[in-house]
Amino acid sequence: MNSNIFPHLWRFIVLVLFQVLVLKQLALSVGSYFNVLIYPLFIFFLPLRIATAYTVLLGFAIGITVDTFYGSLGVHASAGAFSGLIRGFILEAFGPKGGFKGKEPIFSPAYFGWQSFFQAIGVFMVLYLFFYFSVDAFTFVYLTTITLKTITSWVLSMTFVLLYMAFFKTRA
Amino acid sequence: MRALFLLFFRNGGFVTFVLVEALCFWLIVEFNERQNTIWAHSMSLLSGDISTRRQNVADYFSLNLQRDSLAAENARLQEQLANERYLRLQRAYSDTLRNGALRDSNTIRPDSMRLKQARPQFQFIPARIIGNAIGGANNFITLNRGSRDGLMPDMAVISRNGIVGIVRHVTTKYAYAMSVLHRQIKISAKLKNYNAFGSLVWEGKNPGIMTLRYIPKHFIIHPGDTILTSGYSQMFPTDIMIGTVAENPKPDSENPYFLTILIQLRQDMTTAEEVYVVKNLHAVELDSLRNMSNSDR
Repeated sequence: MNSNIFPHLWRFIVLVLFQVLVLKQLALSVGSYFNVLIYPLFIFFLPLRIATAYTVLLGFAIGITVDTFYGSLGVHASAGAFSGLIRGFILEAFGPKGGFKGKEPIFSPAYFGWQSFFQAIGVFMVLYLFFYFSVDAFTFVYLTTITLKTITSWVLSMTFVLLYMAFFKTRA
Repeated sequence: MRALFLLFFRNGGFVTFVLVEALCFWLIVEFNERQNTIWAHSMSLLSGDISTRRQNVADYFSLNLQRDSLAAENARLQEQLANERYLRLQRAYSDTLRNGALRDSNTIRPDSMRLKQARPQFQFIPARIIGNAIGGANNFITLNRGSRDGLMPDMAVISRNGIVGIVRHVTTKYAYAMSVLHRQIKISAKLKNYNAFGSLVWEGKNPGIMTLRYIPKHFIIHPGDTILTSGYSQMFPTDIMIGTVAENPKPDSENPYFLTILIQLRQDMTTAEEVYVVKNLHAVELDSLRNMSNSDR
């Protein structure tokens, strides 16, 4: 694991910086519905052979980092931890039949193909975003708003996921 | 310990998640104004709900206490009402004297007849029926008040709806009263419309019906006419509700100059519970007066 900690660390830094320096500013200038959240990619691309307890904690870690910049302590952290919990189930569902062989380090299109990747990241982002906007609203009174925000944000975030995949070769 | 550690890391994802979410929850509520407001509001609703429920329970348990205090309050008001009727009579008399209506008689000087400050005549003691019978020919009720509460034999028992009975025996804590459904009961009652009075008795059988006798037959009486106490018996105050005329009166079988009138009782004796025992504060004086007149017979 020591050998491949750096790609993750690097992804952590890049995603957080991009999130708080670019996407946050975009959201502030365009409007509250233009809410692109891309940092969950870090959680998605964590090593396949890692206990859920760690992904939950790492999800919390990147969430709380983003929170400190957004001034919303706990909201992103909560959603990050949630994405850490669901990640395992989603990858299991969209991974190869018969389970992972242990050769592939992460769930990237390079190993599992674009179709599986987009299915997995799509569902992952929907669940993550819904959780995030629910925690943000802090009440299900605004369920309609939460759903609308989830849909718009999902479309935008998936676009940025595409861009990310185009820019970076994600192999480890 | 090591096994526990392994167990946690194998299945600990969810446990970790719950712990982390608890921490996040605290962070959110503590450091985010908007969510904090929502949380505080929800909590206030919840605690409001809880305190309402708790209040309901407390209210339920204080109902007995409240009932007693309400009964006492009602007794006081009924007492006031009965005394007011009596005092109004006294005042009217006193006014008549003052206006000189009796001055011409020359036998009484109005000044000497000026009434002393009129004393209230009745005291109402709230009580509850703890034993009741309606099946027999002579029925009795048991009350949860006795001599220590001021009860004495021959006191009237009434309820919000009307007459109930007459106290016969008292112990320290309890009293045994003759129900109006008793063959020996005899209550002086009057027709509200005419002020004509007669004698109310119970002839057995129907626990809702009493019989009013000795009303002269020239009175025209309709079903539904109100029957009140006359106040002549010294037990029941004046104008206490008894009931209404049940059906068209028939001539008395023993004396054709009088009517026999069936009276539907207002107070259903089968459901009577909260009652007042009426203490006539002038009873001793009236009794001695009656004893004096006995020698005239």
